[in-house]
Amino acid sequence: MTCAEFQQVLPEMLEGDRNTEHAAHLASCSACSDLISDLKAISEAARQLRALDEPSPRVWNSLEIELRREGLIRQPQREPALVPSRARRPWAWMVPVAAVLLVGFGIIVYQRGSDQQAEMAKNQAPVAPAVAVLPASNVSPSHRSDDDRQLLEAVGTRSPETRAQYAVDLNHVNAYIQDAEQSAQSDPNDEDAQQSLLNAYDQRAMLYQMALDRSLP
Amino acid sequence: MTGARKPQGDGLSEAEAIERAKQGDAEAFEVLYNLHKRRVYSLCLRMTANTAEAEDLSQEAFLQLFRKIGTFRGESAFSTWLHRMAVNVVLMRLRKKGLSVVPLEETMETDEESPKKEPGAQDPSLAGAVDRLELQRAVEALPPGYRTIFVLHDIEGFEHNEIADMVGCSIGNSKSQLHKARMKLRDSLRTSRAAKAEKP
Ligand SMILES: [Zn+2]
Repeated sequence: MTCAEFQQVLPEMLEGDRNTEHAAHLASCSACSDLISDLKAISEAARQLRALDEPSPRVWNSLEIELRREGLIRQPQREPALVPSRARRPWAWMVPVAAVLLVGFGIIVYQRGSDQQAEMAKNQAPVAPAVAVLPASNVSPSHRSDDDRQLLEAVGTRSPETRAQYAVDLNHVNAYIQDAEQSAQSDPNDEDAQQSLLNAYDQRAMLYQMALDRSLP
Repeated sequence: MTGARKPQGDGLSEAEAIERAKQGDAEAFEVLYNLHKRRVYSLCLRMTANTAEAEDLSQEAFLQLFRKIGTFRGESAFSTWLHRMAVNVVLMRLRKKGLSVVPLEETMETDEESPKKEPGAQDPSLAGAVDRLELQRAVEALPPGYRTIFVLHDIEGFEHNEIADMVGCSIGNSKSQLHKARMKLRDSLRTSRAAKAEKP
């Protein structure tokens, strides 16, 4: 049996289909026996690559946002009795902020809903821009950065990693809001821009809600 | 099945977490995610060799699973279900990008874009030992079709009939492509070891 012939039947042989002729060649040929032990080593090392890597925390973060958005996560996890009151204090301010953000979002949606009805009636009437209700919903840029600073301080008491993650998320969502506001302002009739803006506010509100839900260690 | 309730999420069994997740419990979803995130993410990362894409695909796989969690019965099949879901999500993405998921059939053998460097006789044998990280790099460099089969069989432990089913090829094809993938990995490991040995 030549090396070429041996290697031809190698796949079946590795699955255990071995005869005396194979064994004889293996015993006499170091090239082929090296090949076999290398292939086995590769297969064995491969198993160590399973579950080797840890995903970034942002995967769970976006997943959680989506689960909440879709209503799969329905209630926040709270077990207040387990939590010392001191630990909860840094979060107290967040309750009204999250509420305001959510209410603001509600106003926008409501406003938008009635606009859509009006639009359906008149067909050509422009959609009132969502940005019109901005001042009432307490999300001007300066308010935003104050709130964000407080949120980061509060989550920072849990761990620096959590703080860093929220900082990244807030940056993203604020940039998203800014972009969306700009396009919504530049063309108040642009349905997509209005929708993006609503999504952006929604995401921000969601972040605060998440931080609030997790205010308990 | 309903043992004593443990107050902390980390103490939840998978079965308990599944039942609680059906009720919309945030903590239960996180427990399920944490139990399986490494396996799912690593699978996506090996198959795509791209961090951003692997994150995106992991999220998608979990999301698809969680959307159907209400229909799930029994604990033992949960991880099987999830891993299959992850594979399907990845394969769908690869197909969308026009990458070959099904390994090329025998006839395409000679059609290699990159000039193949045969390891020279002087290249060292692997001496039956392969380092995890060097293998990881070599897997990333495999052409997508070979990579898929190797990841699914040797890393993830799927059987050839399962792979044939998921990927849409014959069992024989899955077997022969796995062998070629291993041979390619051996070549590239030997070549990189030889290159390393040349450096002072
Ligand atoms: Zn030989």
